[in-house]
Amino acid sequence: MDDPQNFADEKLVALCQQGQRQCFEFLVQRYMTKAFHIAFNFTRDTETAKDLSQDAFMRAYANIKQFDGRSSFYTWFYRIVVNLCLDHARRRGRVAWQSLDDIGHEPGEQQHFADSTFAPDQEAMAGEAKRKVNATLEAMPKKQRTAFLLRNHQGLSITDIAEVMKTTEGTVRVYLHRAVAALRQSLVELV
Amino acid sequence: MTERSRELESACKDYEEDLVLHYYGECGDADRKRIVGHLTDCTRCRHFVDDLQRLLPQMGKTEEMPQVFWDNYYRETIAKLDAQDERKPWWRSCLVFTHGWMVPAFGTVGIIVLIVGLLFGRGNLSIFNDRSPVKIPQEVLVDSNQLEFFKSMDLLESLDRLEQQDGTKGELNNTHTERVSFDRQVT
Repeated sequence: MDDPQNFADEKLVALCQQGQRQCFEFLVQRYMTKAFHIAFNFTRDTETAKDLSQDAFMRAYANIKQFDGRSSFYTWFYRIVVNLCLDHARRRGRVAWQSLDDIGHEPGEQQHFADSTFAPDQEAMAGEAKRKVNATLEAMPKKQRTAFLLRNHQGLSITDIAEVMKTTEGTVRVYLHRAVAALRQSLVELV
Repeated sequence: MTERSRELESACKDYEEDLVLHYYGECGDADRKRIVGHLTDCTRCRHFVDDLQRLLPQMGKTEEMPQVFWDNYYRETIAKLDAQDERKPWWRSCLVFTHGWMVPAFGTVGIIVLIVGLLFGRGNLSIFNDRSPVKIPQEVLVDSNQLEFFKSMDLLESLDRLEQQDGTKGELNNTHTERVSFDRQVT
């Protein structure tokens, strides 16, 4: 007999809809890193990202019967994660992008931008550039930010992003270009 | 740095969006050939793509969390799912065998039944509004003349009572004056 852990998403979802909770646990194992990283990209806080991504799993499980298979499971699930993150940001008033600067100070973590490509004397300049990038991301409209994060950070295709955001591929292309254009000056500072 | 900034700003406007999509590998074959052809001729656009290739991956770097973190994460998620299962209301268990399509289906059937009912009832909703009057026996019904008669009878009765009261008061007054004159005589 096949190991259910190797089943495709659609099969696991179908079994889960028939009441087999264990199949959903396989989906949790499969998507927990992605869900956490999406939430982390939005919130820049480990605990909040963990809570939001776990809430997304709970919400997905509670509504698994409503999943009709017209889209893939992961785009449906990513939409739940993104919506929870945007709701959280709305409640908080703004996304805590400023905490991006603090990542390097946490134990066992490395700075994103001050890696080996920068000489030590350039690190101060890189820090300033990071602040500019963070400010730009913070000021960016949420749709542009979502499209950019899903493409650049999560590697989703434009087709999948359009599915997650319930919009057209053309609109996602425009969001992506505008986001990169908005980040352009900040990106230049990082050179 | 300033030189770089100038170079990036002066990337060809017509190609800028395509260059971003080209970087992400989201161009079709025809567009890709066109952009590659342009990049061989345009140094500024080539610098723009080089900058994207160098900078955007750094922004997208994610932290590698230790295995312990993921073990705890998974355990916590399962515990939360268990708690959610326990909190599930009793009526949810009745809906285990229902499918998502059933709710709109039943709703549609209900609306159709309502429409058919209104159509075949010719839109006459008077059965809900007009209630047939309760039939009262004729002998119980009293016309207005009879009511007037009873009212006048009541009036007459009350007049008789007043007269009677006046008569008893007169007698009482007489006995009172007689008693007073008798007392005076004794004294």
